[in-house]
Amino acid sequence: MLLPPTLHCRRASPLLAGCVRTLHSGHPRALRPLAESLLRRRPPSRLEARFRSRRSQEEEWRNRNKTVLTYIAAAGVGMIGLSYAAVPLYRLYCQATGLGGTAVAGHDADQVETMKPVRERVIKVTFNADTHASIQWNFRPQQTEIYVVPGETALAFYRAKNPTDKPIIGISTYNVVPFDAGQYFNKIQCFCFEEQRLNPHEEVDMPVFFYIDPEFDDDPRMARVDTITLSYTFFEAKEGQQLPLPGYSYN
Amino acid sequence: MSTAMNFGVKSFKPRAPDKGSFPLDHFGECRSFKENFMKCLRENSFDNSRCRLQSKEYLECRMDNQLMAKEPLEKLGFKDLMDPPIRINKTDRKPTKI
Repeated sequence: MLLPPTLHCRRASPLLAGCVRTLHSGHPRALRPLAESLLRRRPPSRLEARFRSRRSQEEEWRNRNKTVLTYIAAAGVGMIGLSYAAVPLYRLYCQATGLGGTAVAGHDADQVETMKPVRERVIKVTFNADTHASIQWNFRPQQTEIYVVPGETALAFYRAKNPTDKPIIGISTYNVVPFDAGQYFNKIQCFCFEEQRLNPHEEVDMPVFFYIDPEFDDDPRMARVDTITLSYTFFEAKEGQQLPLPGYSYN
Repeated sequence: MSTAMNFGVKSFKPRAPDKGSFPLDHFGECRSFKENFMKCLRENSFDNSRCRLQSKEYLECRMDNQLMAKEPLEKLGFKDLMDPPIRINKTDRKPTKI
């Protein structure tokens, strides 16, 4: 807005000189058109120049603002899109790397027939039995440990006794430690997730028929795993309670 | 047990058994086979590979007494125990003519 004074004077002086000249000449006819021309031309020279530059500057700012706003809007939309895309991408990443406990190794039921035992890798499987405080069963494993190799089916037994005078229905779940090895631990048949009824003073043997996937030997993360612990916990089942079978929502 | 408050830490996800649950042996019909198997394990320092025959017999007992769905034993991983012994060490020597 503020033009430097030199520019001011430079612009003004020839006009001023022209004005003085006409005054000195004293010619009235020459004065009018000159005056008109001066009246017409003078504002364009200084103020309009200022307006023009201001307008162009404003336009420039407006354009710049528009581009910046466009970029910000694009970034916002991109972020929203990325958050939606993250769900399947994360799932793919978990499948590839096996983080978060997702099943990576195959749990193919047909492979039991064709799998070959990996004789070099002997794994000790230890057994643990727990009961919830409210269930009065005596529940314990019949062997503390068993040595298996991946790719070979194995049998193990637990024993449960109902020392009370009334029938008790129990239901169990299991746990495999270390968690990473749990994905290779496949149970063909066991006694978990279904209600098991024990009559008063009854004692039963509960078998677990399982195998360790032969791919266990190929996994570098399992290279230092020599012991796997299988732990069962029995809870008392309440009448009419339906437990959802695990695994169907994931597989 | 796996807790619910593991943020970013792996937790254990239990899986249902492939062939479901064993019905309970209330009458102890296969107890003798089980005892056989446990005896074998104790004798062989709990090495499963040496007691596979006994485990196969236990499962066969279960199948015979309707305590387990009948299935070909190959599907249970006993293919190596099913093959009839083809290679028999021929101990009888042919008389050599001197």
